[in-house]
Amino acid sequence: MYNAPKPKLEDLPTKAQLRRSSIIAGIGAVAIAVMVYMPAELGQDPTGVGSLLGLTEMGEIKRQLAEEAAADEALHGTDGSSWLMDDLLGLFVSTAQAQEAWTDELTFTLAPGDSTEIKATMEQGATLFYAWTSNGGRVNFDLHAHANGQDVTCEKGRGQTEGAGSFETPFAGDHGWFWRNRDAEAVTVTLQLRGDYSAIVRSE
Amino acid sequence: MFPITQGGKRMAMRLSLAVLTLLVLVPGPLLAHDVTPGDAGYIQEIWGVHIIPFIYLGTKHMITGYDHILVLLGVVFFLYHMREVALYVSLFALGHSVTMLLGVWYGWGINAYVIDAIIGLSVVYKALDNLGAFQKWFGVQPNTKAATLIFGLFHGTGLASKILEYEIAEDGLLANLLAFNVGVEVGQLLALFVILIVMGYWRRNPGFMRQATYANLIMVFLGVLLTYQQVAGYFAST
Repeated sequence: MYNAPKPKLEDLPTKAQLRRSSIIAGIGAVAIAVMVYMPAELGQDPTGVGSLLGLTEMGEIKRQLAEEAAADEALHGTDGSSWLMDDLLGLFVSTAQAQEAWTDELTFTLAPGDSTEIKATMEQGATLFYAWTSNGGRVNFDLHAHANGQDVTCEKGRGQTEGAGSFETPFAGDHGWFWRNRDAEAVTVTLQLRGDYSAIVRSE
Repeated sequence: MFPITQGGKRMAMRLSLAVLTLLVLVPGPLLAHDVTPGDAGYIQEIWGVHIIPFIYLGTKHMITGYDHILVLLGVVFFLYHMREVALYVSLFALGHSVTMLLGVWYGWGINAYVIDAIIGLSVVYKALDNLGAFQKWFGVQPNTKAATLIFGLFHGTGLASKILEYEIAEDGLLANLLAFNVGVEVGQLLALFVILIVMGYWRRNPGFMRQATYANLIMVFLGVLLTYQQVAGYFAST
C-alpha cells in the first residue's frame, strides 16, 4: 500500500518521448560540461562561451588559489618554519622617512591579478599603527601572521581603497598584509607604518 | 585574535561569523597563509554584482547536494502528471527561497549539523509517506503539499547557513543572492529533468510497484544514515 495509486500506462510518457528526452539530456550534459563546467572549474574555455558568461574568471581564480594553497602547504607544511622561510625569501624594502608621525612609507603597484606580501618583524605584545590608501582601483587584503606553527588572521577585506588602525601582536614573528589586485586596472597602494618593529619584509 | 582599535563592530561581526564557521565546519587541513581554495575562495576574492557566476554556484550547490536530490526524488516518486510535478516542485522551491533569502539577509546562523540532520529526517519522512506508513500506523494521510512546503523551508535554512559561510561581499549582496537562488531553481529543474526520465522508464516496468517498496525502504535507510552522520558530526564538533 502506498500513498498514491498505481500509475496507468496511458498516463505515462511513451518510450519515444523518453528516448527523445534522454537524447536532449545527453546533449545538454555535454554542452554544460564544455561551455560551463570547464571554464568555471578549470579555467579552460574551448568554446569562448565561458568568457562571455564571466565564468572563465572564476575558474582562473580557483586554479590560482589552489596553486597558492598547495605552495603554502609545501612551504609552511607542518614543520613550523614559516617565518624563518619568509626571512630567507623576503627582501628588505628600502624605507623612507615620511611625515613625523610615520616611520615608514611604502608604495607599490599591482597589475590586475598580481599579489604581494608586506610584513613587519615584531616581538610578542608589540603594537603597529598603519594607514593605507589605494589609487587607480580597489584592492583585496588579508592582515595576518604566522610563525612557528602559530597563525592568526586579523582582518580581511576586498574591494577597498583605504584603511587605518592598529594591532597588537599575539606572538613574535612577521605580521602584515597579503595584497591582491582583483580590479580591472593597475592599483598603486601607499602604506604608512609606525610602531615597535625591527624590519619590514616584502615577498612577492 | 589580536585586538584592533578600529572597526571593532565589524570585527565583532566577523568574529561571530568565524565562531559560527568553527561550530559548523569539519576542520580541514590548516593552511598557514589562510588561503581558502574552491568556491568559497573565489567568492571571498570578488565584490560587486556577478549574476551568472552566482547562478552557476547555486546550480552547482543544488546538483551536488545529495540531500536535496533525495528529497526531490521522494517528492516526485509517485507523481507523473506534469501539472502535479510542477505544483509540488514549486511548493518546494517557494519554501527554500523564502528561508534562504531571509536567512542570509538577517544572518540566521543555525548550526549546519542540526539543520542537515532535520533535512535527513525529511528524507525519512517522505519515504515513509510514499510507503503509506502514516495511513497504516495512524489511519490518516498527512497533507503532502504542506509537507513539501515545510521541507522547502528547512532546506532553505540549510542553504542560508552554507551561504553565510561563503562570506559574500556586502557590495552586490542582494543581486548575487537572488542570482544564487535562481541558480538553485535551475539546478532543481536540471535534476528533475533527469529524475523524470529515469522514473519514466522505471514506471513503465511491470515490476515498478513492487520495486517501489524496496526503493523507498532504501530511501528511509539513506535518510537515517544522513541524520546519523549529522548528529555524530554535531557531537564531535562540540
